Amino acid sequence: MENRKDILLRTYLVFIGIGIFCLFVLGKAIIIQTKEGKYWKAMSDSAHLRYEIIESERGTIYSEDGQMLSTSVPEFDIYVDFMAEGLRDKNGALFKKYIDSLAIGLSDLFNDKSAADYRKELLNNYKSKKRYALLKRKISYVQHEDLKKLPLVKMGKNKSGFISVVRMKRLYPFESMAKRTIGLARDSNKVGLERQYDGSLSGTTGSRLVRYIAGGAGVPVEGTEMDPSDGSDLMTTLDVGIQEAAQNALNKMMVGNEAERGTCIVMEVKTGKVKAIANLGKISEGVYAENFNYAIQLSEPGSTFKLVTILSVLEDKLATLNTPVNLEGGRWNIAGQTVFDSEIHGLHQSNLKVAFERSSNVGMAKLVYNYYYNQPSRFIKHIQKLHLDSLTGIDIPGEGKPRIYKPGTNHWSKTTLPWMSFGYNLTVTPMHTAMLYNAVANNGVMVRPYLVNAIVKDGEVLKKFDPVVLDSNITSKQTIADLKECLEGVVLNGTAKSLASKDYSFAAKTGTALVADKGITYKDKVYQSSFAGYFPANDPQYTIVVVIRNKKHAAKFYGGSVAGPVFRDVADQIYATHIRKQLQKNFDGEDSVKYVASATVNTLAGVFSNLKYGNSDSNASVLADVQISKGKNPELHKRSRSKGLMPSLIGLGLKDAIAICEENQLKVTFSGAGKVREQSVDAGINLKTINNIHLVLR
Amino acid sequence: MTQNELKISKGIDFTIIILYLILVCIGITCIFSVEHKPDDDILGNILKFNTNYAKQILFTFIGLLVGTFILLTDSKFFSAMANLFYAFGIMLMLATFVIGKNVNGSSSWIPLGFMNLQPAELCKIFVALAIAKYLSRSDTDFSKPRSQLIAAAICLTPAILSILQKETGLALVYFSFIFVLFREGLPSVYLISAAFLGVLGVASLVVDTNVLTIALLVIAFVAFMLLKRKIRRNRFILLFLLGGLAFSVGTQRLAVPYVLNNVFKCYQSTRILAMVGKEYDCSLNKESKLAEADENKKAPRKTDDYNVRQSKMAIGSGGFWGKGFLKGTVTQGSFVPEQHTDFIFTALGESFGFWGSVILAGLYLTLLIVIINVAERQKSAFSRIYAYGVASVIFFHVSINMLMTMGLAPVIGIPLPLMSYGGSSLLTFTIMLFILVRLDADRQLNVR
Repeated sequence: MENRKDILLRTYLVFIGIGIFCLFVLGKAIIIQTKEGKYWKAMSDSAHLRYEIIESERGTIYSEDGQMLSTSVPEFDIYVDFMAEGLRDKNGALFKKYIDSLAIGLSDLFNDKSAADYRKELLNNYKSKKRYALLKRKISYVQHEDLKKLPLVKMGKNKSGFISVVRMKRLYPFESMAKRTIGLARDSNKVGLERQYDGSLSGTTGSRLVRYIAGGAGVPVEGTEMDPSDGSDLMTTLDVGIQEAAQNALNKMMVGNEAERGTCIVMEVKTGKVKAIANLGKISEGVYAENFNYAIQLSEPGSTFKLVTILSVLEDKLATLNTPVNLEGGRWNIAGQTVFDSEIHGLHQSNLKVAFERSSNVGMAKLVYNYYYNQPSRFIKHIQKLHLDSLTGIDIPGEGKPRIYKPGTNHWSKTTLPWMSFGYNLTVTPMHTAMLYNAVANNGVMVRPYLVNAIVKDGEVLKKFDPVVLDSNITSKQTIADLKECLEGVVLNGTAKSLASKDYSFAAKTGTALVADKGITYKDKVYQSSFAGYFPANDPQYTIVVVIRNKKHAAKFYGGSVAGPVFRDVADQIYATHIRKQLQKNFDGEDSVKYVASATVNTLAGVFSNLKYGNSDSNASVLADVQISKGKNPELHKRSRSKGLMPSLIGLGLKDAIAICEENQLKVTFSGAGKVREQSVDAGINLKTINNIHLVLR
Repeated sequence: MTQNELKISKGIDFTIIILYLILVCIGITCIFSVEHKPDDDILGNILKFNTNYAKQILFTFIGLLVGTFILLTDSKFFSAMANLFYAFGIMLMLATFVIGKNVNGSSSWIPLGFMNLQPAELCKIFVALAIAKYLSRSDTDFSKPRSQLIAAAICLTPAILSILQKETGLALVYFSFIFVLFREGLPSVYLISAAFLGVLGVASLVVDTNVLTIALLVIAFVAFMLLKRKIRRNRFILLFLLGGLAFSVGTQRLAVPYVLNNVFKCYQSTRILAMVGKEYDCSLNKESKLAEADENKKAPRKTDDYNVRQSKMAIGSGGFWGKGFLKGTVTQGSFVPEQHTDFIFTALGESFGFWGSVILAGLYLTLLIVIINVAERQKSAFSRIYAYGVASVIFFHVSINMLMTMGLAPVIGIPLPLMSYGGSSLLTFTIMLFILVRLDADRQLNVR
């Protein structure tokens, strides 16, 4: 029986053994599933599969002259998996061996922390067994290449645990240049060309399945990759040189005049290619940035719109350039409101051309009042024919649609039409103005402004964009000729006279408009100075439109003195770099260096006598220009001058300018160095009415 | 009509067969949940046999067919053929060294075309039969060391061959026959010694070396004080005490580190130490040193507790009620390596949570209790010992597998009986159980 008892005991023991194991299983199950449940649940939540997008490489945006305006470069984030096989093997022998040289290498490469700091960071992360420790963000391709050469890192991902996460970063090699036009390729709310041509630039993304292991590290699943198709490149019409000129000129003026915002558009006359768009907005005092595309923003154009008014009456043969217009001395009451010219000039009898050249609001109002007051639609039809009531269709998003009131609508009042005649009560964009002036320059052929020549992929042109003619004859030939004469007249005799260049002729119109906008009323005296024109006047190549909104109560606000100089600056540069070169190419003889110096006759006489050129006139106060051309004797041209009126000091050296001013009992202040480029008192003003003058020299 | 039918079903205990079918079905369901993707064509996959669950269904049918044949066979056939089967099994295992196929790093498979056969699996049946045959012989006196040695040899020969085939996990299964031997009268000393060694071994891993040495000295001193009187009478007790102390300290200070560094491979030592929450320094490992010395050789495989971690994550995230069938994110995302085979329990743990795990463990426990009950009601020693053999093997598999997936046992790669994917494993357990059912049907018979 002893035996039987023993066997029974053994059987029980077996059962107990099984029972104990069962308890182990249950106990562990309870611990894992309930007590540690939350932890494991969190871990499982971080472990999942996900389809991830493989970014395609975004295309590059080029300028017409082949410079990269916007391109994508890789950028790397560096992580370290401190649980990597190589780092843990043999108790971390590899890690211990290389940590010092690695820390020194990292410190040398990134230059942001000392080797000791890097060593400490690596060691801490190693101790805490981090699987995905961030080492450094946003390192460049070059840095990444150098990083790969460091000790340990060069052994590869498995040994070193170094993980590079690559990202494409948009790079703008010219930084702020034309930034708003080129656009921003940010993830949401792209702007500019980056948005307009996003479909072509971005290509198609690929995808792959990524398995995220607990803790957040992702491992791509093999065989699930769909390769991305890279984006196409854009060949734009922009010209880096012109763009730079536009931007610099605009910036200089805006800083100087503390303006609020401004834009400068340069367009190629024959094609409508936009060669430059500069947009500047005030960020803080004295700091400007491309923060908005003002070139396609609506505003009341002011006097540059007067071109439409005279175009209408000329085209409808209601008047000619010589049709008399009474300017009423600069003030005219109509329908209970008063039309003011920019100054009370006292002029009464005049004609259409002079009214335009002097930018008389009264003159324009009178013209439309006389001819269209009873048939306003006829005037509106001209605006429509000129495409000024619809989008220009330029290939950047966000263009404002002009607001042109129609007779019979709520907005229409008795004053609407007269005020429209000088650019109020309607809004267009500077781009519309550019398109209009360009059409005149292009002998009546209106072309659509555009920014992209072609979409190219791997050197192959996928799509080519040609100039689009919107209207091959906006007016009759005669009207175009008249308009050109008027625009040239503005520079020769009118509001832009002081801006005239000796090197080339140009045709333009100034504009000065009071601004009413968000938070601004006419009472705030915020002026929008604009200047629209083309050059060279005899063979138009480029149209330039400058629109600048000044600060409240700005001292200088006339289109001719704020926007005009920008026009000149840009035109000068284009002339020097593009047109003169072209002209020079056309002469295949000796070059014709021409040099013009201005001074008083006295000064010139001194020089002339030194040079042994005979000259007898010695009137100290007579101004003269001397023109020196190669192979010819210097020619002296005396400036005509009326007694009692302010002479033009433009082109003079400071010494001569001060002499002239003091002779006329004027107090002189000046800024800059070089020759007089601006005078605060325009030529032709009665000297008795002024005491002070400020000269700007450049 | 039913003379034959009656004869077949006569005496058959259907509890085992029903439990068997339930477990196999749960297994197929779990394999399905591991593999199934939302838009899969289930019927098409089953008919084309291109998924693991479809194959497992096929293996089940093959198993049932084989089972039916076994039920139709005479009980005496198994006892009569036991030694022959054993020899055949050993031959098969030896054959793998020649025609073996390498599957997952172990060369213990024989390709059969439609499936790969693992003789080490099949051999469990043969060892159970052979040990039953040997111990039930009327001329075997198990109290004699010689018989004990022969019995041990029968159990451990396949184990040694398995180790040579790099299937350490399966080799360990053969050690589970110690329960059989224990039931059949193996002196308790062996088991107590084994248990002591086990505790000592675990303690050397867990407790700090010097602390353990001091603890052992204290224990010896306490024993000495308690046995003081007896020692005066019998000096051998003192010798035994001192010898035991020396052996224990030696094991703890020298043998365990030696085994870790020189016998086991780096990854094995790492897994063992990972189980008790410690890290193993592979630079101490002899094999690693050799590998390092030989530059052409690659360093030993990556070693970490990744599998267990993922497995615990699956089970643990199931929580009490589970995430629901086919809703286990860890399972569906294939985050647990080898989930359809050794880690199939995790699929159930994640989908059905704690209560699901308890029910599954309960089913296995019921099966074991039923088998031991069956064992104890046998008239013939052969049937009883065989039944114990089956119980031991299943118990070892279930407990180690479950504990392994929960991180309480080292990952040694043994499947969960009847549930894990795999033809060899399923067929082996099917055959084992059906032989048992067959023998039990003749429990009144004295099968020799």
